[in-house]
Amino acid sequence: MKAAIQTDKLSKWYGNILGLSEVSLEVRPGITGLLGPNGAGKSTLMKILTGQLRPSLGRALIWGEKIWNNFRLFNRIGYCPEHDSFYEQTTGWQFLTGLLRLFPFSPAEAAGRAERALATVELLSDKDRLIRGYSRGMRQRLKVAQALAHDPDLLILDEPLNGLDPLGKRRIIRLIKDLKNDNKTVLLSSHVLPEVEALTRDIILIHQGKILASGDIHELRDLIDSHPHIIALRCDRPRELAARLVREPFILKVQLGGQPDSLIVETDNRDRFFSLLPELVMDMGLAVDEITSPDDNLQAVFDYLVGK
Amino acid sequence: MSAAGRVYTFFFQLGQKSKRTKFFFILSLLPVLLAAFLRLQQALTLSRRNITGLFFYSNVVLPFYVQFLLLMLALFYGTSIVLEEVEGRTLPYLAARPLPRTSIILGKYGSSAALALAMIDVGLAASFLVLNAEQLGDLSLDLVLLRDMAVLDLGLLCYLALFAFLGALLKRAVLFGLLFCFGWENVLIYFPGLTQKLAIAHYLKSLIPQPPSSGFAFLRFNLEPSPPLTAVLVLLGLTAVFLGAACLTFSLKEYLFEN
Amino acid sequence: MTIREKGYHHWDGQFLERRHPWWPITRLGIRLTFKRKFFKFIFSSSLLPAVVFLAGIYISERLEDFRGMARIESLLLNISAKYFGAYLTADFLLFMAVIILVFCAAGLVADDLKHNTLQLYFARPLRKRDYLLGKASVVFFFLFLLTLVPGLLLVIFKLIFSGSFRLLRENPWLPLAVLAYSVLFTLFLTAYALLLSSLSRNGRAVSLLIFGVYLFSDMLFNILYGIFHSPYLGLLSMRTNLKLLAVPLFGLKPPLGLPWGYSAGLLAAVVALAAVVLVKKVKGVSVIR
Repeated sequence: MKAAIQTDKLSKWYGNILGLSEVSLEVRPGITGLLGPNGAGKSTLMKILTGQLRPSLGRALIWGEKIWNNFRLFNRIGYCPEHDSFYEQTTGWQFLTGLLRLFPFSPAEAAGRAERALATVELLSDKDRLIRGYSRGMRQRLKVAQALAHDPDLLILDEPLNGLDPLGKRRIIRLIKDLKNDNKTVLLSSHVLPEVEALTRDIILIHQGKILASGDIHELRDLIDSHPHIIALRCDRPRELAARLVREPFILKVQLGGQPDSLIVETDNRDRFFSLLPELVMDMGLAVDEITSPDDNLQAVFDYLVGK
Repeated sequence: MSAAGRVYTFFFQLGQKSKRTKFFFILSLLPVLLAAFLRLQQALTLSRRNITGLFFYSNVVLPFYVQFLLLMLALFYGTSIVLEEVEGRTLPYLAARPLPRTSIILGKYGSSAALALAMIDVGLAASFLVLNAEQLGDLSLDLVLLRDMAVLDLGLLCYLALFAFLGALLKRAVLFGLLFCFGWENVLIYFPGLTQKLAIAHYLKSLIPQPPSSGFAFLRFNLEPSPPLTAVLVLLGLTAVFLGAACLTFSLKEYLFEN
Repeated sequence: MTIREKGYHHWDGQFLERRHPWWPITRLGIRLTFKRKFFKFIFSSSLLPAVVFLAGIYISERLEDFRGMARIESLLLNISAKYFGAYLTADFLLFMAVIILVFCAAGLVADDLKHNTLQLYFARPLRKRDYLLGKASVVFFFLFLLTLVPGLLLVIFKLIFSGSFRLLRENPWLPLAVLAYSVLFTLFLTAYALLLSSLSRNGRAVSLLIFGVYLFSDMLFNILYGIFHSPYLGLLSMRTNLKLLAVPLFGLKPPLGLPWGYSAGLLAAVVALAAVVLVKKVKGVSVIR
C-alpha cells in the first residue's frame, strides 16, 4: 500500500534551535503512533505536515504532493491541534458548522456532517452550550470532531488524549481504532506510551528531533539484540531452576528476586530460552505460577533507545 | 461560493455576535447623541450661540469620525485579522482547511470592513439626519452626506488594509499602529510641501472640505490639498498595495505560538 | 494492606502567612514588562522631560556660563514650585505615562481573565485585595519612576546645584507636594488602567481602550469647547483634570479657570468606580451559562 505521508531528510530549526533533524519516514494506511517526550519534535513534525511550518531542509509529501501552501490537500486531511483553543464565544454546534462551511459544503450538508461528528464524539446533547462552558474533556472531543467531520482520508492528531479522563480516553481510543477499519490513515502523537500501545503496534519513536526507530513494537524489541531481554518467573523452586539455567550460554544473568519464589533471568536469545523453559519445567517437575517480560513493552524499548 | 466568500461569511457571523462589535457600535453612535443634545439645546433656546446643523456636522461629527473612530476601528479590526488567530491559537483551524491563504486574509478583511463600514455609515447618517432633518429635501445637502460617507469608507478601507498588513507582519502591531496614527500622521500634516503626502490622513483631508480655523486647536495646520481624483486614486492604490502585502506576508510567514 | 478512606481530610497544620502576599504578583508583572520588546526604549524616552528640566535647573544656577540664555525669561529658568509642577503636568509626560500603561497595564487583568488564571491565584492563600494590590503595584512602580522619583530628584539637584536650602525655606511643602501629586496621578492612572483591563479578555483591545479613552476625552473637550466655550467642558478632558489637581499643590494657574475641587471629585469618582468594577470582575469562579 502506498504511503500517505513521506518525509525525506526533513529538518527544521528555529533560529539556533534544532526542531527536527533529518527525519525520513513513511506513514502508511492504518494507525501510526508518533512517540516521544515533550520537546522531541512531534508537534513540529505535525505542523509541517499540516502546512503551518515550512521545512528548513528536506521535504515532506502527502500523497506525493508538497504541503506548504497546497490548500487542496486539506480536503482530505483532518487535523486535531495540540492547543486547547477555540472561538470561545460560539457554541459547539456553531463552531463545528462554521468550520465545515469553510469547505465547499452546502449549509444542509454541513449541518448533517456536524451532527454525525458530534454524535460520534458524544457531544450532541451539549451542542448548544457555549464552548467556554465545556469541560476539558468536552473541548478535546470537540477538537477531534472538527478533525473528523469532513470525513478525511488522513487524520493527524496531535496529543488527542491530552486532558481526558480514563473514560474519555477509552472513547477516543475506540473511535480511532474504528477509523482503521474504514481504511483511513491516522498519525497520532503522544508522550504517554501506554496510550499508544493501546491503539497501535506501528510506532515511530522520536527524540531530540531525530527518529530513533520505527515499525512494529515487538519487532523493534527483537531487533535490539545487544540489549538483553529480561524475563521474570515465579515458581516453587527458583534456586534449582537458577542453577540449571546458569549453565546455558545464552543466559547472561540469573538473579533471585525480592520474593522467595521469584527469579529474574537475562538472556540474549528469547526464543531459545522459551523453547528450553518447558523442557526444564517437565524434567524438574516445577510448578510455575507466573512468567512475565517486564521489558517487552514500548517503555523499555524507548528507554533503551534514548539511553536512559 | 468562493473560498474568500466562505471565510467572509464565517467571520461576519462571528463578528456580529461579539462584544467588541456592540461596543464599537455604541461608540459610533456617540455623535448622534451629541447631535440630539445640540438640537435639544436649540429647541429649548438654552444657548445664545446659534449653531447650524451643518456647522456642527462639519466641525464636530466629521472630525470625530475622521480623527478618532475611523482610526480606532481600523486599528482594532485590521490588526485582529491575523493577530486574533495567532494570539487565540485558532490559526490551525483555518490553515488546515482547503482555503488559499490569501482567501483567509481577503475574507477576514471583507468581514471586518463590512462591520466597520456599517458602524461608520449608520452613525454618520443618523447624526446628519438629526442635525439636518428639516433640510433633507435639499439635494446638495444629501450629496454632502454621500460624499463624506464615501470618503470615510475609502479611508477606512485604506487604514484597514494597512493595519491588516502590520498585523500580519508584526506582533506589536497595535503599538506601531498607534504611533503611526497619532504620531507620524499627526506630525506630518504640519510639514509643508511633499512631506504631507506621506500621510494617509492628508488624502482624506484633501477630499473633505476643512472647517474654518477659528477656535479648533487640533485642526490648525496648513493643508496643501491634493486634487480629489489624485487623492481617490492614491487611497485606492494604497488599499490594494497594503492588502496585497498582507496577503503575501500571510502566505509566506510562519506563525509560532508563544508558550 | 489496608484500604484508606478516600475522603477529604482537613489539614491541621499551621499556615505561615507571607507578610506581603501581593509582592510575587508585582515582581512578576515588573519582570514581564521589562521583557517586552521596545519597552526599555519607550521607558527611557519617557524620562526625557526629566532630563530637560534637570538641564534647566543646572542652567539656572550657571547663568553666567549661559549669558546668551540669561536674557530669556521663561519658566525654564525660573525655578520655583511652579517649575516642578510644570514638569509633573507636562503633556509629554502624560502621553508617555499612557504609553507605559499600554505596555505594563493592558494585560494585567485581561490576560488573567483570558487564560482563567484567577482560579490559580485564589486557590492560594491570597485575598482579592492582595491580588489587586499586587497588580496595581506593577503600575505604581513604573509611574512612580516617571513622576515621584524624578520629581524628588529635581528638588534634590536644585538644592545641590544652588548650594543652599533657599528653595525649601521658601517652599517647605514642596517635597510633600511632589509626593502628593505623584500619588494622586499614579492612583488615578492605575485605577483607570486596571478598570479598562478588567473589561476585556483581549489585551490588544485594552491597549486600544487605554489610549483611545485618553485621546477621546481630550478630543471631545476640544471639539465641544470650540463650539460652546464653556470652561466646565474641561472636566471632560483627562489631561485638564490632572492639571487641575496640581493647582493647589504647586500654585499653578488653573486651566480654564476651573475650580480644582471639581476635578478632584471627578477623578475620585473614577477611582471608586474602578474599585467597584474590579471587585466584581475579579473572582475565583465564574459561572458560564
